[in-house]
Amino acid sequence: MPLRLYRGDLLLIVALLVPLAVAGPRLGWPPGEAAALLGWVGRVSGILGLAMLLVTAALSIRLPGFDRWFGGLDRLWQLHRLLGFSAFILIMLHVLALGLARVPAGLEVAVLTLFPPLSQLALWSGWLAWLAMVIFLAPTFQFFGRLDYQHWKRLHMLSAAALLLALGHALPLAGETWPWWLLGALGAGAMVWRKLLSPSLARHPYRVESVESLARGVVEIALRPEVRGLDYRPGQFIYLTPLDESLTAGRGEEHPYTIASAPNDSLLRVGIKDLGDASHALQTVSVGSRAMIEGPYGDFFAAHYPQRDALWLGGGIGITPFVSGARGMAAADESRRVQLFYLANDADRAYYLDELSRCAEGVEHFTVTPHFYRQLGPLSESFLRHHCPDYADREIYLCGPPGMIGHLRELLAAQGVPASRIHCEVFDFL
Amino acid sequence: MNKIAYSAFIAFLASIGTLISVQALSSDEADTASEARDITLDELAEHASAESCWKAIHGGVYDITDYVPDHPTDEEVILDWCGRESSEAWDNKSPGRPHSPAAERQLEDYRIGRLVDDQGEPIEGGEANDQTGQAASQETAEAAPDAAPSPAEDLRLHRAMLGQPMDGHYRGVFTDRGEIQVNITFDLRDGQLTDVNFRHLAYRGVDYLTLEEDEDLYPVMLQHRRITEWLEGEPLTSIFALYEPARVVDEVDGFSGATLRGAKVISAMRDGLNRGVYSWP
Repeated sequence: MPLRLYRGDLLLIVALLVPLAVAGPRLGWPPGEAAALLGWVGRVSGILGLAMLLVTAALSIRLPGFDRWFGGLDRLWQLHRLLGFSAFILIMLHVLALGLARVPAGLEVAVLTLFPPLSQLALWSGWLAWLAMVIFLAPTFQFFGRLDYQHWKRLHMLSAAALLLALGHALPLAGETWPWWLLGALGAGAMVWRKLLSPSLARHPYRVESVESLARGVVEIALRPEVRGLDYRPGQFIYLTPLDESLTAGRGEEHPYTIASAPNDSLLRVGIKDLGDASHALQTVSVGSRAMIEGPYGDFFAAHYPQRDALWLGGGIGITPFVSGARGMAAADESRRVQLFYLANDADRAYYLDELSRCAEGVEHFTVTPHFYRQLGPLSESFLRHHCPDYADREIYLCGPPGMIGHLRELLAAQGVPASRIHCEVFDFL
Repeated sequence: MNKIAYSAFIAFLASIGTLISVQALSSDEADTASEARDITLDELAEHASAESCWKAIHGGVYDITDYVPDHPTDEEVILDWCGRESSEAWDNKSPGRPHSPAAERQLEDYRIGRLVDDQGEPIEGGEANDQTGQAASQETAEAAPDAAPSPAEDLRLHRAMLGQPMDGHYRGVFTDRGEIQVNITFDLRDGQLTDVNFRHLAYRGVDYLTLEEDEDLYPVMLQHRRITEWLEGEPLTSIFALYEPARVVDEVDGFSGATLRGAKVISAMRDGLNRGVYSWP
C-alpha cells in the first residue's frame, strides 16, 4: 500500500487516538519500574487494541463515495485488514502484559488476574471476544485449509459477536466509557448497515438488456436501470447480484465487477470473464432477468495529477477500466495525452481491441498500442520506449492478471519510475 | 500481516501456557509441603540420613534435608537427630538456650506433617523423650570440642572476649578510610540483643540506607537488614557468627563480594560495648 495519506486516514488516526487521549491523564507517562511499566503497557495496548477493533468494524462499511476518502474500496479493506490484525496482536499483548505485571505478587495472583472466578463476567467477556476473533480469523490463518469465500464471509460475521463481547469487557472495566460508546456505535452501525440495511437500501434494480460474447469465456453484459442509473466515473466497479432463476451458481450472491461503459452511456456495461462458479454462470445469464447493482466503488483513475500525460497498461479482463475510460474520452474535455498498451496473448484474445482502436481514431490525444505475448514475449522496455518515449514521466495505471502486474512493476522500477506514480487496483482475496 | 498475526497468536498461547503451567507446578509443590499429614515414629525413623532427614519437634514433623548443609552447626551433630523426636535438641541450641524466634519461623517452611502414635493420636514432643534428649545433648557437648569449633561458634571464646556487659542501650561505630561506615544501636536485656538497628551504613560515599529498591547495591543493604533481624533475641555472643556471614544470610556471594562485611558489624557492636552503656533502659 503506498504511504500516501488520504483525508479519511486522518479521520482514522483521530478515532484511534481519542480513547487513549481521554485516558491519558489517568495513565500518565510510562513508569520506570518493571511491573508498573508492564501494567501501563497492558492498559495502553488494551485501549489502543479495542479502539482498533471498533474502528476496523466501522471500516467494514460500504458506502458509495465514502471509500474514495480512503483511496478506494480496495485500500479501505487493506486498512481494515491491517487494523484488524493489529487489534488482534495488541489485545493479546494487553492480556499478557497485565498478567505478567502481577507476577511480583505471586504466580497465583498473576494467573488469577487472567483467569478469575466465572462470576467476573466482564473479564470472561474479554476472553470470549478474543476467542471469537480466533475463530473468525482461523480461515485467514488457514487452520482448515484453503479459503472458501462464501464460507469465510459467513464466519466473519462472528466479528459482530467479538465487537459486542469486547464492549461488554471494556464498558464495566474502563475508566472512561464515552469513547467506547461512540466507537462502539460507529462499528456496530457499520455492521448493521452492511449486513441488514444495505441489501435492501443500497442496491439498485437493473435488467439484463443484452449479453454479447466477446471471446471464448468472456461476455459483456449490458444492464438497463429500472429507475435511475448510477453516477460513476471510469475505472470504478459495482457489486452485481443476479436474480436470474435459471443461473446454475451465484444466484443472489454479490460479486464485484469493473464497469466497462462510459459514464454518459444509458446502459451499464460490465465485462465478465469466466473465472469461477459465479462468473461462469453469468456467461449465460438470461436477457430480461433482474440484477441488483450496488456502487459505484473504487477510485482507480483518481486525479492525482490531472495535467500529467497518462500511460495505461491493461491485459486480460483487466482491460475493462480502460475500456470505460476510452469510451468516455470522446465526451470528456481532456487535454492530456493518453496511451494505452493492450497486452494480450494474441489478436484473438484482444477482445476489446477493435472498439478501442475505433475510439482512438475519434480522439486525437488517445493512442492504442497492442502487444501480443505469443509474438513478442513479455512486454520489454525497448517496446515501451519505442512506442511511448516519455513513458517514465507519465502517470501510470496498471490493471491485469497478477503475473503481468508483477512483471510491469519490476520493469518500471528498474527504470527508476517512482512507486507513487504507478496506480494499480488489485482485488486479491482479503 | 497474516504471518505476523499468526506468530503473535502462537507466541501468546505459548506465554499463557507457560504462565499457567509454571503456576500449576509450583502450587503443587506448595500444597504437598503445607499439607498436615500424620506421621508415625516408625515412618519418621526411616528418614534418618543426610539423603532424607526428618525431625519431629514439638509435635510437628519437618523435612530438613535441604537445610542441613546450610545449618551453622556441624553436619554430624545435625544428622545425629534425623529420624527422631528432636524437641530436646531444638530447645537446647546451646545448653539451656532454645533456637531463636527467627529460626522457628524458618523451621515452619520445612513442615511436612504432624507426629502421631500408633493409634493416630498426636504426640506433643519434648516430655516423652526426655531421656533420649538428654543423651543427645551430651553427645552435642562431646562432639563440639572434637570438631575444633570455628571462631564463629566457640562460646567460651565469645564470653571471654565480651566479658559481662550490663543491660542497657548501646551505640557503636566502625570507621575506615576516613568515613563512618557502620553506626549501630542495640539494647541488651538479660544478656540478649533487642532493637538492633543501623543508624548509618555507608561505603565510599554511598549511603546504603537511602538506596532505592532498583539500585544495584540494594541487596547488600537487605543483607545487612537481615543481620539485624537475625540478631534480634539472640544472646550477645551470637554476633561472632557474623565472622561467617553464610551462617546468617543467604546469597553470600553477593554479600561477601560487596564492600560491607559482617566483621564491620561485629567491630561496630564491640565499639558500642567498649564505650559502655549509652543510656539506661
